[in-house]
Amino acid sequence: MMPAVRGDGMRGLAVFISDIRNCKSKEAEIKRINKELANIRSKFKGDKTLDGYQKKKYVCKLLFIFLLGHDIDFGHMEAVNLLSSNKYTEKQIGYLFISVLVDSTSDLMKLIIQSIKNDLSSRNPVHVNLALQCIANIGSKEMADSFGNEIPKLLVSGDTMDTVKQSAALCLLRLFRTQPDVIPSGEWTSRIIHLLNDQHMGVVTAACSLIDALVKRNPDEYKGCISLAVSRLSRIVTASYTDLQDYTYYFVPAPWLSVKLLRLLQNYPPPDDPGVKGRLNECLETILNKAQEPPKSKKVQHSNAKNSVLFEAISLIIHSDSEPNLLVRACNQLGSFLSHRETNLRYLALESMCLLATSELSHEAVKKHQETVINALKTERDVSVRQRAVDLLYAMCDKTNAEEIVQEMLHYLETADYSIREEMVLKVAILAEKYAADYTWYVDVILNLIRIAGDYVSEEVWYRVIQIVVNREDVQGYAAKTVFEALQAPACHENMVKVGGYILGEFGNLIAGDARSTPIIQFRLLHSKFHLCSPMTRALLLSTYVKFINLFSEIKGDIQEVLKADTNIRSADAELQQRASEYLNLSRMVSQDVLATVLEEMPPFPERESSILAKLKKNPWRQGDTEHKESKMPPAIMNHTNDIKGGVAADDILDFKASAPIPDRQGDQNILHDVFSSISNGPQAAHLPSTSHVDNLNKFVCKNNGVLFENDIIQIGIKAEFRQNLGRLGIFYGNKTTMPLQGFSTQISCSGSLALKLMVQAKPVDPVIEAGAQIQQLVNVESIDDFKEHPGLVVTFMYSAVQQRLDLKLPVTLNKFFEPTEMNSESFFSRWKILSTPSQESQHIFKATKPMDPEATANKLTGFGMQLLPNIDPNPDNFVCAGIIHSRNQQVGCLLRLEPNKQAQMYRLTIRASKDTVAGSLLELLYPEF
Amino acid sequence: FHLNFQRANIWLAAVTKQNVNAGMVFEFLYKMVDLMQAYFGKVTEENVKNNFVLIYELLDELLDYGYPQNTDTGALKTFITQQGIKSQSKEEQAQITSQVTGQIGWRREGIKYRRNELFLDVLEYVNLLMSAQGQVLSSHVAGKVVMKSYLSGMPECKFGINDKIMLEAKGKSTTTDDPSRAGKTSIAIDDCQFHQCVKLSKFESEHSISFIPPDGEFELMRYRITKDISLPFRIIPLVREVGRSRLEVKVVLKSNFKATLLAQKIEVRIPTPLNTSGVQLICMKGKAKYKASDNAIVWKIKRMAGMKESQISAEIDLLQTDSKKKWNRPPISMNFEVPYAPSGFKVRYLKVFEPKLNYSDHDVIKWVRYIGRSGLYETRC
Repeated sequence: MMPAVRGDGMRGLAVFISDIRNCKSKEAEIKRINKELANIRSKFKGDKTLDGYQKKKYVCKLLFIFLLGHDIDFGHMEAVNLLSSNKYTEKQIGYLFISVLVDSTSDLMKLIIQSIKNDLSSRNPVHVNLALQCIANIGSKEMADSFGNEIPKLLVSGDTMDTVKQSAALCLLRLFRTQPDVIPSGEWTSRIIHLLNDQHMGVVTAACSLIDALVKRNPDEYKGCISLAVSRLSRIVTASYTDLQDYTYYFVPAPWLSVKLLRLLQNYPPPDDPGVKGRLNECLETILNKAQEPPKSKKVQHSNAKNSVLFEAISLIIHSDSEPNLLVRACNQLGSFLSHRETNLRYLALESMCLLATSELSHEAVKKHQETVINALKTERDVSVRQRAVDLLYAMCDKTNAEEIVQEMLHYLETADYSIREEMVLKVAILAEKYAADYTWYVDVILNLIRIAGDYVSEEVWYRVIQIVVNREDVQGYAAKTVFEALQAPACHENMVKVGGYILGEFGNLIAGDARSTPIIQFRLLHSKFHLCSPMTRALLLSTYVKFINLFSEIKGDIQEVLKADTNIRSADAELQQRASEYLNLSRMVSQDVLATVLEEMPPFPERESSILAKLKKNPWRQGDTEHKESKMPPAIMNHTNDIKGGVAADDILDFKASAPIPDRQGDQNILHDVFSSISNGPQAAHLPSTSHVDNLNKFVCKNNGVLFENDIIQIGIKAEFRQNLGRLGIFYGNKTTMPLQGFSTQISCSGSLALKLMVQAKPVDPVIEAGAQIQQLVNVESIDDFKEHPGLVVTFMYSAVQQRLDLKLPVTLNKFFEPTEMNSESFFSRWKILSTPSQESQHIFKATKPMDPEATANKLTGFGMQLLPNIDPNPDNFVCAGIIHSRNQQVGCLLRLEPNKQAQMYRLTIRASKDTVAGSLLELLYPEF
Repeated sequence: FHLNFQRANIWLAAVTKQNVNAGMVFEFLYKMVDLMQAYFGKVTEENVKNNFVLIYELLDELLDYGYPQNTDTGALKTFITQQGIKSQSKEEQAQITSQVTGQIGWRREGIKYRRNELFLDVLEYVNLLMSAQGQVLSSHVAGKVVMKSYLSGMPECKFGINDKIMLEAKGKSTTTDDPSRAGKTSIAIDDCQFHQCVKLSKFESEHSISFIPPDGEFELMRYRITKDISLPFRIIPLVREVGRSRLEVKVVLKSNFKATLLAQKIEVRIPTPLNTSGVQLICMKGKAKYKASDNAIVWKIKRMAGMKESQISAEIDLLQTDSKKKWNRPPISMNFEVPYAPSGFKVRYLKVFEPKLNYSDHDVIKWVRYIGRSGLYETRC
């Protein structure tokens, strides 16, 4: 674009730069720069006026110094002066300085904008382009504001030069990114779209980028571009490389434009119009055909350009996912790349195939290449390609080939790179589980997995195998036998010990009959690993031992010895110590019944989302494609991985002392109470289901403190105080996970009319909640007028890179602003009578939903905020209350009468208030409480 | 831990596994630099490259298993030489062994000089930070006493200075001195350290410095003084901003010592604002120049007698800039050299006893020289 700088290279600048380059040390460089700066200052200050060349030279030097990392705080004016020069090089340097150095708040901005305006309206296209480049380089809001009108005009005007149009399109794209409303809509839309028909390929390429950005924002408005893009594409594709002279790159006609058009089309579903659709398919076919033609050149640029178009076309085919014919052809084409010697091609082929595998139409076609992929896994040199191969194997796996693929992956795992091992382990575990026809096979696979890559087997994997063994009776015996055999290896991984400990503890009895695995042998085998294990595993083993006591009373003595050992009963680890002493006491219980009940076999686990799948989902950088695959899985699998969130089975597996049925209904409770007195009700508390928050919200009608919302990630609690028409809420956000919650933010809003009736002010919150930490947010509310709705609370945060959003309501209701009022019977009834117009009264008769307990009712009414007035109503069963609702505009007196009817289990609730609407809203709040 | 410092473009680094006395490590590293200087002159990249073998040899003696052994130049020079291995007789070897492992590792026996001579240099560096109004914000003197001895035999020396504590210790025994006079001439040393040859036990018990000196040059003591420092020069700055584009600076330099003494190598460095576009200078004495590369006016005077005054005035043109930052006015700094000790440090005596050879204290020719130099000597403006 830039005309070559004429022979007037700036000697002074060249000398200066070579001086700087020759500096031996940093200090020398700084000295040289200081000297130069002083020189330039004196030149700028001097009385002699400088000519354009000198100004250009000094501004250039300043730029160079700035780019070396020094502050430049003068010379701006000189640079602006350069803008009005007529010489290209001077103007260019001026613009360069300005786009690099002038910040948008500068006073000079007005002058600069004026200069740019002049240049934009110049007849010299080179000047217009310089101005456009400068606008795009600065790309600030001011620029968008100042030139938002002119650039679109330049872009579509008939008499603009092509090169200017090209720059204008790109400049507009830049401004659009800073300020999306810079593009006018309406009539401009079609004019911009029609740029795709422009004669000049450069303009089309630039416009294509612009339209792509616009389409991403507003697909419907720019729908018209589809047919234009398709026809443009077909013209390019069918063109021979001699047709588009300047835009043919190594015999490929306009590869960049083709790629852009193909990308643009990926913003839309396949075209509806059969004509357009046919044409597009033709294009895609042509591209696929061309890929098979012999290369026209041996240069790498030729194949790169050709393949980039091909890959983009394949992406489009996958995106449309509607043409089986094309999909299969794409798949075959990719298959031929799998053994290509270019690493990048292999990588891209595997990546695209992953997507193809998820499409039902091409799944079978992909499976044909299984051999090649497995081969790639084994022989590939590049780790990232191997990773893709693993992904593809995972994606192409189904019932028919699962066994083989899992076997191959297991083999590969032995030599796999450390970086991908954990993920591979997860994938193997998932595949083995998902496609297991025979659960003994599954158990074998997982145990192999632990044996081969124990360090990379995450907790979830072995939790899951235990869950499955516990839930499936048919494999329990086999599992026990297999782990027993696995444990006999001289060195086995700690995870193996964990699984072994658990399974033998539960199902060791199933193999106890065999002389090779008698109880005592099982116990000795496990205990031989005990001293090598971490405290957590030791704790698990202790539980196993106590289960052995129950299963095999003949080795009770040996086990008690172990429990009594100082390393256990006096262990420095509190958990071990507690377990040892409790189990020891438990084993000394006289009654065998107690032991049998407490140490009963674990009940089957509730079916829930496979925890390993959840883990794979959590894996942040894999997020995108896993989700993608998930959504395309056949429905049968979807059921299996159903939507219960989180749910890591950790607690209930480890703590079986606690999840063993705790003796509520047992006769000999007392003894057991001693044993278990120190055990908290851990698992119950930990497994609160994520309660729907509507219920929670209603809880707050009659009380001020409590939990508003809770799920596996976060707990939101409320503590509130109200006085007259003012209230203060403390909202507590507690992170329940082991990872910090990032990007945490909350927004409290009053929708619609509520905004006028309730003032809410919230303090900002920290953007991060550390693992296990709690933060508090203070919210002040003021009631201005009576209101019905709840203010909304939107909580957003990132949990393991997934954006979470909770839409809640704050428990601020009208009754919170009650002030209780004392009054005697006389005044009560006189007021009651005054408020007798029908609009002032609200009455509701309803069936009790909760037990009719007078005390609880009284508590609720007091909690509601009113003063309970005893001995006023002639019927002592009835409740009578009075209170005043405060708001900034007014005070509303309220009287309440609640008449229970025990026989019919009905209530009649009457509220009278001095303001018409209030009684009704209060009634609605209160009656669901009873 | 990793401890290092840079000397020109050579880095010296020491690593330790444990938390050790960092002061000790640095002292060792500095000693090593001194030692290398004594062996092959300036420590530069080239010299280090050329003397790899020598440095390894030295390190072998300096440090055993991470414990510093012997860093004394004189002692090391007896057995590590640059001239290759001298064939040494058995006796010589035995002598070296006994010397290095003996009580006085820094001096060998049997040194003989025709003229017994010794030189004492008292070198002081004055550090000062003064406010524009002439208030002393901080000042201290870092001094050292360097001795060059050419003495025969195993002489025992006693060194006396006008330190308060030492004088008081003396005063107790003699009690003849007038206390008021003693107060004037004595100085308070804040802290000091000695060469390894000084018998610290004697210093502790009798407050006397006695030692058997190594042969040749060594640093006898180092000290620091913060009280009653006589400042050799006073700078009185006057900065006036005339509008936004001019600055007038006037600096008066006063010498503040005996009129008979002559200060040398005086250099005053007046920083200029970063947007200086031109400087005009007028000075009564010496030469002044605007050094754009340093952003400073440098005023040099070769010699200046005591109790004199000199002045420089500068007009600085400023270029208007768009940055709102104000010039933060860095302090005016100066360098000089004066022939006395600004702290008032005085050598009272240095007596030499050599019981075995027959020369007495009177036969030794002694030279004492005082030099006061500027450290960081700054006045705010």
